[in-house]
This record gives sequence, C-alpha cells and structure tokens, in this order.
Amino acid sequence: MSAPNPGDSRPGGARELLSRATGARVWREHRLVLWLHFLVPPVLAILVEAATLASPGHATLLAVAVFLLAACSARGLMTSLSAAEEARNALNAQLIQSQKLAAVGELSAGIAHEINNPIAIIAQETEWATHLLTEAEKATGGDFSEVRDSLREIRSQVDRCKNITHKLLDFARKREPVLQDVDVTRLVDDMARLVDKEASYKDVTLSRSLPEDLPKLRTDAPLLRQVVLNLMTNALHAVGKGGMISVTAQADEEFMEIRVTDNGHGIPPENLDKIFNPFFTTKPPGQGTGLGLSLCHNLVQGMGGNILVESQVGRGTTFTVRLPRRLSQPA
Amino acid sequence: MDINILLVDDEADFVETMTKRFRIRKLPVTSAGSGAEALKLLDQQDFDVVILDVRMPGMDGLEVLRQIRAKRPLTEVIMLTGHASLDAGMQGMNLGAYDYVLKPADFDELLDKVRRAAERKALNVSAQSRG
Repeated sequence: MSAPNPGDSRPGGARELLSRATGARVWREHRLVLWLHFLVPPVLAILVEAATLASPGHATLLAVAVFLLAACSARGLMTSLSAAEEARNALNAQLIQSQKLAAVGELSAGIAHEINNPIAIIAQETEWATHLLTEAEKATGGDFSEVRDSLREIRSQVDRCKNITHKLLDFARKREPVLQDVDVTRLVDDMARLVDKEASYKDVTLSRSLPEDLPKLRTDAPLLRQVVLNLMTNALHAVGKGGMISVTAQADEEFMEIRVTDNGHGIPPENLDKIFNPFFTTKPPGQGTGLGLSLCHNLVQGMGGNILVESQVGRGTTFTVRLPRRLSQPA
Repeated sequence: MDINILLVDDEADFVETMTKRFRIRKLPVTSAGSGAEALKLLDQQDFDVVILDVRMPGMDGLEVLRQIRAKRPLTEVIMLTGHASLDAGMQGMNLGAYDYVLKPADFDELLDKVRRAAERKALNVSAQSRG
C-alpha cells in the first residue's frame, strides 16, 4: 500500500472517515448479524421441512413466521447498507472539496508570490516619483498637485494589492499545529468580547452557552481563536438589526464540536458548496476578499478537524467546527 | 520557567507598574516605549513573549506585529487593546498574535496568557530542533 497523504490520514481526517464508512466497516461492525443473515434461512428451511413432515398446520405457521423474519432482517440490512453508502458519498464529496481547496490555495499562493515583487517595485517607483515631483516643484515653482494626487492614488491601490497578496500568502501558509490544553469556554468568551461591542451597535444579541463541564481540548490555541473569531464576525455580518448569534459547544469521547448559529439571511443552496472557495464573496467589491471562510477551512483542517455548514435561506446558518480530542502528535 | 518578556507601550506609568509586578514574580521584563524601539531590541536579542499595545503614536501596533512575525516567527505576541476593537482584534489574530488582553489589564489574566504563550514558544522551539 502506498503511503497515504499525511494531511488526510489524521484521526477525523476525510480519508479516515471515508474508510470507516465503507463496506469494510459494515462487515467489521456487523459481522455477527451478517453471519446470521447467511445462516438463518437454510436453518429455518430445514425446520420448515421437518415441520411439514410432522404436521402441515404447523408448517404453514412456521413458513409465515420465517417469511416475516427474513423480510424484516433483509430490510434492516438494506437500511444500514444504504446509510453507509450515503455517508460514503458525503465524505467523498468532502474529500474532493478539500483537495480542490488545497490546489486552489497552492495556486493562489504561487501567484501572490510572483506578484509581490512587481508590486514592491511599483511602490518604490511611486515614492521616487513623488520625491522627484517635490524637487521639480521647488525648482520650477509650478503646481503639480494633480500629479501628486494621482501618485497618492497609485500608492493607495498598490497598498490594497499588497494587502491581498499578504492575505493570500498567509492563507496558504502551512501551519504545523502546536498542541496545548485549551479552555474552550474561556477562548470563546475572550473572542466574543471583541465582537460584543460591534454587536451591541447593531442591536445583535451574541449569546454563548457552553456546558460548564466542557473538557479541555488539546489543540492549537491561536488557530482556534482565529477560526472562532472569523465565524462570529461572519455571523455578525449575516444578521440584521435585532439579530441573534449563539455559540455552543459539546464534546463526546472522540470529538468536540463548536457551533456558531445565526438567524441571518442564510445561504442559498447553490452557494453552499462555494462558500469555502477562496475569493468567493457575496459582498460588494472592496468590502471583503472572500478569504475568511476558506482560511477557517484551512485552519480547521490543519487542526485535524472539519468544518460543516447548514443553512436555510431566510432562517439562518450554522457553522460547526468538529475537532478531534486526541490528535496524534505530528511525527 | 524563565520567560523573557518584552513590554511595548507608550504609557510610562503602565509600563512601570507592569514591570514591577512581573519582577515580583521573578519574571524579567524589558520595556520599549515605541514600536521602532521594540523592533531594534528584537534585532539584538530573542524574547519569548512580546506584550504589545495596539495603539501607539508613530508605528501602529499591527505594523509592529507584522514585522515581529517576520523577524522572529517563534516569538509569541500578546496584544493589548484599550477597547474591544473588533477590527484590530481580527487583524491581530489573523496576523498571528497569540492572544489579546483588554486594558486595563487584569494582571493575573495577563500573567496566565504570558505563561501559555511562552509554553507555546517552547513547544515550537523543541519541535524545530527535532527537525
């Protein structure tokens, strides 16, 4: 077997989930039931045969019972098989999505890197031109204020480009998570305090109800802070005046889930598969780079987890960050 | 655990009180009154944790943060913000700050965050030396 892609083989990674959802898993977990399925019909057939020889009345009853039993168990088997198939399809889609995002991320980082140098030169030349202009003004006493304005505008647009390329490079930066015990309740509360004031301006209620006995999570604290803060900010942008945002969390043996729910405008179904794509945005140009959610997706994957979205137009949206509680230390 | 702290803030009174309180806990603090001074100090010596005021005259705290991350990627930065500014907080966290503390800073909270940031740096350093 070839070595699996390390990014996907973490516990909770898409590839592992995929293998868990396939037929191999059904066989492993339901071995006894499956054997019974194979063995019960012939055994019952023999019984029916025996009963027929003894008395035809009993035989009819037994045959009906056998038929019902076989029908019920077959139905059970079909249900669990189709559930496994559905889970497999969903995970397959998730795997394709994350591979696509990784590819797009790499491509855009490459472009950003290439564009950075010319942008730096444009910035330098603009500074130089501004300097020359000042000299010329002194020497000739002429009024070059329109040229100066134009140079200033070039400079500000160059800064805007630089901002985007920096974000892109940051977006594609590979982060090896550093694991610490994190008090998620406190982390959420800390980040919520940053959002609170803006929320109260918009008359938005930001509630957090995290269980008191929420265990500590071994994960990368600053990365999780970024994800939580980005999701809460997104929610704030999605709701109108008087909106509600709630943050909850729950943990089982294997995973911890942090949910950010808003009652905002929701995401139309045709946009749902695109929201994690870099540069996908529904905001007017210049008001968002469309990198926030794809960054979240990257960060959560880097932490060995995944991020899910459910949304209904007009009702609101829930983002669920699902993180493994026992992340294997990177070798 | 020994932690090398650099405190960057233009308010002299605040710096003085904080330095004293850290000293009582046997934690040495170097202070800088501006971003430029902080960056100069970072050129000369390695710090574990930088406590950085976001709002300073001269070089903006976020710009200082960006340069610290470029210069000393292992050094962890905790931002100090005078008011809960969402924009500065977002930018700071996205630029790779470890955490933030609201001013007026609760000392125990700050100390706890400094310890955690230093722990992260130590983990990062040992991960790097392993290859």
